Amino acid sequence: MKILYSWLCDFIENPPPAEELPARFARLGLGVESSGRSGAAFTGVVVGRIDKIDKHPNADKLSLVDVNDGSAMMRVVCGARNIAVGQLIPFAKVGAQLAEGELKKAKIRGVESEGMICSAGELGLEGYDNSGILVLDPSAPLGADARTLFAPPDWVFELEITPNLAYCLSHYALARELCVFYGLKFKEPALPELPKAVGTVAPVSVADPSLCPRYTAVVMRGLKGARTPDWMAARLRAMGSNPKGNLLIDVSNYVMYELGQPTHCFDLANLAGPAINVRPAADGENMKALDGSELKLSAGTLVIADRGKPVALAGVMGGFYSSVADATDSILIESASFSQSAVRASSRKSGIKSESSYRFERGTDIELTMKAARRIAGLLLEAVPSAKIEQVSDNFPEPPRLPVVTADPARINAILGTAMTDEKIFACLKAIQPGLSPEKPWKFTPPSYRRDIATVQDLAEEAARYNGYDLIPSASSMPVMPASSTPMAEAEAELRGRLASLGFSEVYNYDLVPLKDLRNCLLDETQAVELLNPLSSDYQYLRVSMLPGLLKTLRYNLNRGRTSVAVFETGTVYRRTKDGKKEERVCAGLMYGPFPEEQHWRGGSEMSDFYHLKGVMQAVFGGRRGFRFEKPKTRPAFLQEGAALVMKLGAGEAGVLGLADPMAVINSDLKDTQVYYFELSLAALAESWKGSFRDRVPQVKAVSPFPAAWRDLSVLVDEKREWAEMEKDLGSLPDLSRLDLIDVYKGKGVPEGQRSLTLRFTFSSMERTLTDADVNSRMEKALKKLEASFGARLRG
Amino acid sequence: MNAAEWKEKLSRVGESFSSAISGAAAGNIAEVELQFLGRKGELALLLRDLGSFTIEEKKELGRLGNELKARLVAALEARKAELGGGKSKAAAGLDLTLSGLPFPKGSLHPITQTIVRLSEAYLKLGFAMADGCHIEDDRHNFEALNFPPDHPARDMQDTFYVGVKDSSGKDMLLRTHTSPVQIRSMMAAPPPLRVFHPGRVFRSEAVDASHSFVFHQVEGLYVDRNVSMADLKWTVDAFIKDLFGSSAKVRFAPSYFPFVEPGAQVEISCVFCGGKADKCPVCKSTGWLEMLGAGMVHPNVLKACGHDPEKWSGFAFGAGVERFAMLLFGIKDMRMFYENDLRVWKQL
Repeated sequence: MKILYSWLCDFIENPPPAEELPARFARLGLGVESSGRSGAAFTGVVVGRIDKIDKHPNADKLSLVDVNDGSAMMRVVCGARNIAVGQLIPFAKVGAQLAEGELKKAKIRGVESEGMICSAGELGLEGYDNSGILVLDPSAPLGADARTLFAPPDWVFELEITPNLAYCLSHYALARELCVFYGLKFKEPALPELPKAVGTVAPVSVADPSLCPRYTAVVMRGLKGARTPDWMAARLRAMGSNPKGNLLIDVSNYVMYELGQPTHCFDLANLAGPAINVRPAADGENMKALDGSELKLSAGTLVIADRGKPVALAGVMGGFYSSVADATDSILIESASFSQSAVRASSRKSGIKSESSYRFERGTDIELTMKAARRIAGLLLEAVPSAKIEQVSDNFPEPPRLPVVTADPARINAILGTAMTDEKIFACLKAIQPGLSPEKPWKFTPPSYRRDIATVQDLAEEAARYNGYDLIPSASSMPVMPASSTPMAEAEAELRGRLASLGFSEVYNYDLVPLKDLRNCLLDETQAVELLNPLSSDYQYLRVSMLPGLLKTLRYNLNRGRTSVAVFETGTVYRRTKDGKKEERVCAGLMYGPFPEEQHWRGGSEMSDFYHLKGVMQAVFGGRRGFRFEKPKTRPAFLQEGAALVMKLGAGEAGVLGLADPMAVINSDLKDTQVYYFELSLAALAESWKGSFRDRVPQVKAVSPFPAAWRDLSVLVDEKREWAEMEKDLGSLPDLSRLDLIDVYKGKGVPEGQRSLTLRFTFSSMERTLTDADVNSRMEKALKKLEASFGARLRG
Repeated sequence: MNAAEWKEKLSRVGESFSSAISGAAAGNIAEVELQFLGRKGELALLLRDLGSFTIEEKKELGRLGNELKARLVAALEARKAELGGGKSKAAAGLDLTLSGLPFPKGSLHPITQTIVRLSEAYLKLGFAMADGCHIEDDRHNFEALNFPPDHPARDMQDTFYVGVKDSSGKDMLLRTHTSPVQIRSMMAAPPPLRVFHPGRVFRSEAVDASHSFVFHQVEGLYVDRNVSMADLKWTVDAFIKDLFGSSAKVRFAPSYFPFVEPGAQVEISCVFCGGKADKCPVCKSTGWLEMLGAGMVHPNVLKACGHDPEKWSGFAFGAGVERFAMLLFGIKDMRMFYENDLRVWKQL
């Protein structure tokens, strides 16, 4: 909300300087978004006229301008492009005080300038075109002080007011808050005494007082042609509102900004009856709102109706046909209090948000309705002293019961962790509730505008605001408590650390994806959870897999000149289930392109393939108990058949790895399909992480103290025979401490359908040094096994 | 002189050589050589004394003497090379400025790094990590947190709703803050309770340099008997200093969140200008940065979780992780977190 300093000062005796206010606001929890000067703060500037323009003799971009200031002709150097003969312009004479300081006589490129034609910025004016000089309205009087054309100098503060401080949504209320908390003297606005018992022109009836606990109405006649005074229009303009010039329209806005009470003026001539009925709308009723929208009303929406039809959406907006216009002579001023939730519901249903609904939703001061009505009447009478007041009615059947809070200073200190004296706390409470008795226990009754205070915690906050939050010490009385992370977080942290150390960069993608991405990756969209109110179709579904995001990351980086990408992401995937939804934490990643990725003077990169990714997973899970690869029983989703493996941890499946489904890759606008992808279930990892630290660390086996011996063996084997079988079979050889496959070769010299395998056997005994004969006999056994079980032949 | 005395002398020669050689400049290296290794040098003189020992002793002492001599010669040569005097022993043809082999090097996302660091800080303070979920119901995200239906405070958080109903038939939503974890924790276990939770949150906001519809928060909660706002300030102070160093200052100002009372906004001294506030673009010359929201758990929240607010009290705080990460890593645009440009992430 905008706040004008000058307006605020209407309600404070000896107000503090404007420069001090931002800090004072912030100390009370009123967020200051901006603060700055406004209006015409300059001096020495008059309305001048451009009579002649010549070229500057020494500069192409400058002109020499003859300016008539009403009494004399001055020669001025000007650099603006938008000057023209005949324009009225703000002319600053030497000695003028401008935004940047005093204007001094100057020689510009060898020519003396006797003043300056000003831009809006040079005058310190906000809200005007600042691209050239400020061209004035042709009707401005030549030679007049230019300040008379603009709003007077002032300060504007833009405050962010949280819902609990909604009672500060006006100049009056904000001034009161400053007075309460800083011990300043508050000034009530001048209000006329309204005549009592003047009769009833328009009877008011309220169907349900819980929805409209108070309805104050004043009828005035003889107001035709009432114009908005300039000072009021200037303030409304400064507030960012657009004054209409018709006082009957503008006065409502003015009083709302001033007192915080939304009001509405009905044209009495257009109120059937005339009568006011505050009631719920009936189904099927219609109303054209002031902003021109046609509203279909439904039962339960609170409206103001005349004898027949709705004439206003209560607390939200007036009706089109009952609104005041230039021809209006008699009005009914409505100043009421409506239920917060009723106004919020109407505003939501109608889609209309107004300054009025904003305030009612947050709660208004029920004691303010009569004050606001009187203020309006006073302003109207000031403008049209002959106007007559013909009705003053106040439907206020039951004043609200205010809570009584026992203000125990010990409790307040306990909440804050402070040691404030009773006097200090009492001073605060008394500032808010001047009638508070010092007798203990203190029975605090908040004033009607402080609807936010209901508990001792609320009073603790007031005491802290009053004395400053800096009063709260930083001191702990917290006992030591054991704390731990979760198995999921620990498993995730270890996984992330290992992947990063193996060359993978962690990325973050949005959880929200477009339908197109699901389809491109051949994912089942019926399983996906859809947003009911997405920002756009690009973010319409919750991801069911990490693949779309990672492919997007790959594409993004390839498009920026990268040739290799190794990335991973941990995050949540979402699925719709029969009884709701399922969220799963996964860690997924992909690798593509040369590995290692950096070009290097020794060369040595290869294109990454299946075995690179498998190697990464081996390194990630190395030493993990119960970890192994298995061939999948069915093809894992989004992986290529025959190029995919399942990773197991104990009995559970930890994840999958393999060549990403080429269809998904091509659909995602990628040319090369050699993208290797893995996805791990963090729940499965966390499961294996449960139990003690001891349960999951590897158990160390002793190694032989005697020297080891090794032998290589090259054999030709049918290429369909799998290595894992051989490895398992050879595992039973005595004293075999290692078996490495050090070469796999197909091609020249190897018969079609076969491959050559070179195996390195390492033997060592726990009891003795093995002799050559020992090793040879074991190698013979190995060859025999290979021949017998796999049809292998020694490669010659 | 017996054998032990001779050994003692020998070792003294070694020691005094060491100190002489290390302090020797190029010009007097020859002097040192002469003094220790010359024909009449200290070592030679000592070896000459061997004549008076038995054969057995001569053998052992001679070996020791020769070993020392070899060591002294090597040290002298190395020192000469170092001083550029003698023959260089540097390996030839090694361009030491060529880059090392490119071992794979990945990186962790700055948000992850920030969360890890924050989590470590909380664990040290005795906060246990708690779990939560992203698709929440109205009860946990709003109602139990003292956002009654139709309360304008709900407008402070633009909410995404999803096509899944909760058990009461209401549309579920993407959590708008990590605070539902407070409710889940308080409903799951009786106080005392000290937990934290980092995670993703969602708000229906257009994306720009300082807004994102997906972002991260970290939530902290402590419920016990006699918890005070001073405890809260101490805790915040401790983890802010953990991240930004012991010179970081913390201050509280009043603020509003429906689930706390009193509520506070926590500001820290600007980490860029150090609070000097002179033309600082980061703190806009105020010297302070708004970092998190905090306060004492609202009695209505305790009640909603079945705890008596007369008996229990607590504090809660919540911080935007992106804000921390931006300050820590010098990131100026929030969109960068989700662009995943490896030219950027490889710098981490």
